[in-house]
Amino acid sequence: MAETTTFTNATQILEPFRGVKKVTIEEYFTSGHRTCQGCESALVMKLMVKASGPRTIVLGSTGCMYVANTTYYTTPWVVPWMHTQLGSSGSAALGTAAGLKALMKKGKMKSEPINVIAFCGDGGGADMGLGAISATLTHKEYNSLILLYDNESYANTDIQLSGSTPYGANTTFSPPGTVKRLIHTRWKKNTAGMLAAGHTECRYVATVCPSYAVEMMNKVRRALSIGGPTFIHSLDPCPKGWDYDPMLSHELGELAIETGIFPLYEVEDGQVKYYGKTKAIVEGRARKPVREYLLKQGRFAHFLEEDLHYFQKKVDEMWEQWEIPAVVPFRRLDATKAALETK
Amino acid sequence: MAVVTKAAPAASEDKELLISGSEAVAEALTLADIDVVTAYPIRPYDTVMQAIAKKIANGNLVAEYIVAEGEHSQFEIVKHASTVGARVFCGSSGVGWMYAMECLVVTPPLRVPMVALVGNRALDDPGAFGVEHNDALVVRDLGWLLCWIDTSQEALDTTLIAYRVAEDRRIFLPIAISADGAFLTHSQALTMVPPKAKVDAFLPRYNRGDLLLHPDNPITVAPQANEDWVIEIRRQNDEAMKRAYTVIEEAYADFRRVFGRGPENPWFEEYMTDDAEVILVGMGTISLPIKVAIREMRAKGKKVGLVRLRWFRPFPTDRLVAALSKAQAIGVIDRNYSFGSPFASGVVANEIRAAMYNAARRPPLLSFICGLGGREVTLEDVNKATDMCYGAAQSGKSDSKTHWLGVRE
Amino acid sequence: MAALICEIVYRGIFQKNLAARIARGIVLSARKSGRWGIAFGRYGDSPQRNGIPAKDFAIVADSKEELEQNMARYEPKHVDVTICVDDTLSKGVESWAWYGLQPINRLTVPNGTVLMTSLQRFDDLLEDIHKKDAPYKLSLIRAKASFSGLWVYKEDHTEVRILGALARIAPSFLSLDGVSQAIREMEWGSDIKVESAKKAYDRIETREVKLTEGNDEVPFSFEMPKWWEMREGVTIPAIPLGKPKEAGKGYVPERNPYFKKYTTRTMRPVINFDTCVKCTLCWIQCPDSCFDVMPDGTYDANMDSCCGCGVCEAVCPVEKCITMVNESVFDDNASQWEMWRKDKDAYRTWMTGKIDDKQATVRSHGFRFRGQYEEELKTELDTGGVEITAGIPGENAQHKTS
Repeated sequence: MAETTTFTNATQILEPFRGVKKVTIEEYFTSGHRTCQGCESALVMKLMVKASGPRTIVLGSTGCMYVANTTYYTTPWVVPWMHTQLGSSGSAALGTAAGLKALMKKGKMKSEPINVIAFCGDGGGADMGLGAISATLTHKEYNSLILLYDNESYANTDIQLSGSTPYGANTTFSPPGTVKRLIHTRWKKNTAGMLAAGHTECRYVATVCPSYAVEMMNKVRRALSIGGPTFIHSLDPCPKGWDYDPMLSHELGELAIETGIFPLYEVEDGQVKYYGKTKAIVEGRARKPVREYLLKQGRFAHFLEEDLHYFQKKVDEMWEQWEIPAVVPFRRLDATKAALETK
Repeated sequence: MAVVTKAAPAASEDKELLISGSEAVAEALTLADIDVVTAYPIRPYDTVMQAIAKKIANGNLVAEYIVAEGEHSQFEIVKHASTVGARVFCGSSGVGWMYAMECLVVTPPLRVPMVALVGNRALDDPGAFGVEHNDALVVRDLGWLLCWIDTSQEALDTTLIAYRVAEDRRIFLPIAISADGAFLTHSQALTMVPPKAKVDAFLPRYNRGDLLLHPDNPITVAPQANEDWVIEIRRQNDEAMKRAYTVIEEAYADFRRVFGRGPENPWFEEYMTDDAEVILVGMGTISLPIKVAIREMRAKGKKVGLVRLRWFRPFPTDRLVAALSKAQAIGVIDRNYSFGSPFASGVVANEIRAAMYNAARRPPLLSFICGLGGREVTLEDVNKATDMCYGAAQSGKSDSKTHWLGVRE
Repeated sequence: MAALICEIVYRGIFQKNLAARIARGIVLSARKSGRWGIAFGRYGDSPQRNGIPAKDFAIVADSKEELEQNMARYEPKHVDVTICVDDTLSKGVESWAWYGLQPINRLTVPNGTVLMTSLQRFDDLLEDIHKKDAPYKLSLIRAKASFSGLWVYKEDHTEVRILGALARIAPSFLSLDGVSQAIREMEWGSDIKVESAKKAYDRIETREVKLTEGNDEVPFSFEMPKWWEMREGVTIPAIPLGKPKEAGKGYVPERNPYFKKYTTRTMRPVINFDTCVKCTLCWIQCPDSCFDVMPDGTYDANMDSCCGCGVCEAVCPVEKCITMVNESVFDDNASQWEMWRKDKDAYRTWMTGKIDDKQATVRSHGFRFRGQYEEELKTELDTGGVEITAGIPGENAQHKTS
């Protein structure tokens, strides 16, 4: 079967939604999933395919958005969806895109740009599946979006710490005990920054939060339109793992941004562009103190002042000492010089 | 006399090439017009990937050729490519095959008809790249169809047959073709390569039907299941494997019709078993030294035969029992190990013991382990095994020990 | 030889630790009188989700052999006592897809007991609890549903009050002394809690329930397909695309037919369509896609799929346009918008009746700030919950306009 001429490997061109009233009215991820009350990760799924539209194939690695959603042999998905293994989101995106491309190129399937989105949790994406995602982001000839929904724990197995769990958080693998108050003393992985820095031919990496629904959907549309492999990191509050009244889900998403703990930015062809409340912070608006965010969550209820202080200091460093604030942890030259001089 | 493959009619269109088992598989893949192939280096299987790369570079084959960053991804990529309807190929050896285990496990229940080459290789540690069959055997309970071949010709033919069987809607199960590391993957032999026209007559296009993952066929694949569903899903796989017997028989019959060659009996090759007092059983290229030893022993009046098992899964219980029951003693030589298993014997021996359990006549059965880690199976090894079998034939008793041949003792 | 089989039916995550304490408390209390016992969670419920009903079990028996009859399975076939710690579950239990709506008293043996924490009157509860084909006893402990989260626990003594009540219900297995002794030895035990248990022992209210009493709704159930009826490849059809509500306007998505959220919510949103400014925020921010878009651009929370999280109230910019109200004050899952369209005045009366009901709108749905639970426990029995109007969180909290 020789190569046909109709195939162009083009993507769908998805224009940004000009405001919430212009957003697609259809639901491609509907009700009847079994997520927690107030689960923002479920909101991410809904917004993701509302942004992508019907000509989309979604792959989902094991995690809450797998187990909770496909509720025991039923589904909330309107678009075609398939499960993949915990660490396989990168390979699922790559394999699906490659399969479609081969078939269309050889005339075995009608040529049309089909969105391929593979989602993963923070455990699946930033820990187990990081290698596969990194590999996929180097294959610029296959169009796909890998979306990491980060609820900051292995939530589907009843909340264990992952590489993306915040410092000191209470999880079933890091219970505050009488002798050891903080078992989890690692700082959260900087996944989006790492992937943007490490893959020069990946044209688009962005961070989003479903509390800002329209911006999030427009980042998904941008990623799907730009072509090649793209990556989006979403922070989604998790009432179960973070231990808060589900009604606070939306507010906690906002507070994570307003405290500067989680930055909102996109990196397009190497250009870093902050947006939303993060842009305001970069332009000088004061960050809210981290305690305002942390102490609204039961997972930090065991924090002492010293822990809050340490957390605040680390967040301050991100904004005051990094060459590209909150994106890449390379210390600014003058800060490095100053540090050298004081030795 | 064993049925020697009938000489094919003057197959003028076939090209004769001097190619290794791996290269023979690559020829078949080109003829089968595969769509997506993923590579990752590990000896000895990856010679097939080197061969495919040349086919693609020279335009003989149009396919997406993706070098993965590890076997786990290597197999997951083609698994997903298959779900959107692409004909796929993959492969590995030893611990590489083991690194892909999570994918190997989920491929059968997803009914993904992946065809994979396993260049049989010893499992680590220590790192050793000689042939052992434990790698492919490790998925024997999971819904993979498994077969062992012993010549480049058979490698080529079996690859074409594998796609025909795996992609049959009644089956839709993955097939692993095992080729002994070095002895088959690397040694180059004269092989007849059929023309595309014949392959097109034999191999229909892969059609995933209502399982196709595509916006025009909105489905959810592999929703989470709890105790309300899982045993039903397993039962479906069980039924699919049972249907494989019929589909394999049909495929081989059609292969003989289209290509004018190929074995009458898909399940195993019988070599000089009609009047055999002792029948030896083995898989893969162990057949070569055994056949040589049989000819020498026959010259001395010992009527010895060989059953070279081709299809290990689905296991050809009835036909194998029929073939072995007439012997006075059976000697199963395993090129694998199964520590702590019954009689501490290899996997094939224990499977045959189980298969013979209901047989009307159960000749004494001895189990041997030989040729691990690529160690050559010598004529002495075969003779020694045969003599022990004659001993068992006289005593009428199997013995409960497994004999390790060729180990420095 | 005899056994006592108890199930604890509770609101997932919010009451996970409570249920575990009760189950362990039953076994350890019965141990005091030499009985053998096991406590386990229903494995099919895990991983648990906020709001989704779940079950724990505690089984005590005179002998180990008798205990074995109830082991190595996810759920007993019948129970002597059904303990329900959120009275909104009296409307039934739906834990996962294909499960159907299972009456709270489904497993309760004839003349067994349903023990519930509730402030409602018996007759109100019996409007929700499905009729049973056998008489049984309904016992109440006067208390609100005890909610907290995974990490921070609300020490409101509910677990010990349940144990105290059980000493009254099954004295041969759980003597009051045994319960008291077990409570003292618990890591969460104390003498005050022993007193609470004794009070519950005294104050438990019990009433016989006849065959004729209860909700006569026929709960929905599903027939699961045979293995050869299921499509192969672990493949199921997707959900069809939704359609406009009426005359090409509005939008109602199709939804998963095998799993509804009637029993997932303790509270539901009541909407004031007159003050709605059609800003779309409830619709866009709802994680369960439960808002149907009405032809007039307002949004109607579809009770098939509202799980009661409260995010809509949080993000709604208009004061009291969306108010979460306890599920117990509703008799059906009818569309509020249809009711409003049919008769605006009647709807307004109905609505204000709901959203002004102080007891039904108070909310204690888990952690909000350190010291919250202690503060809640200081207030009297029926208002346990934090004043939710103060500083409603959300994007538009600061400019909430009335």
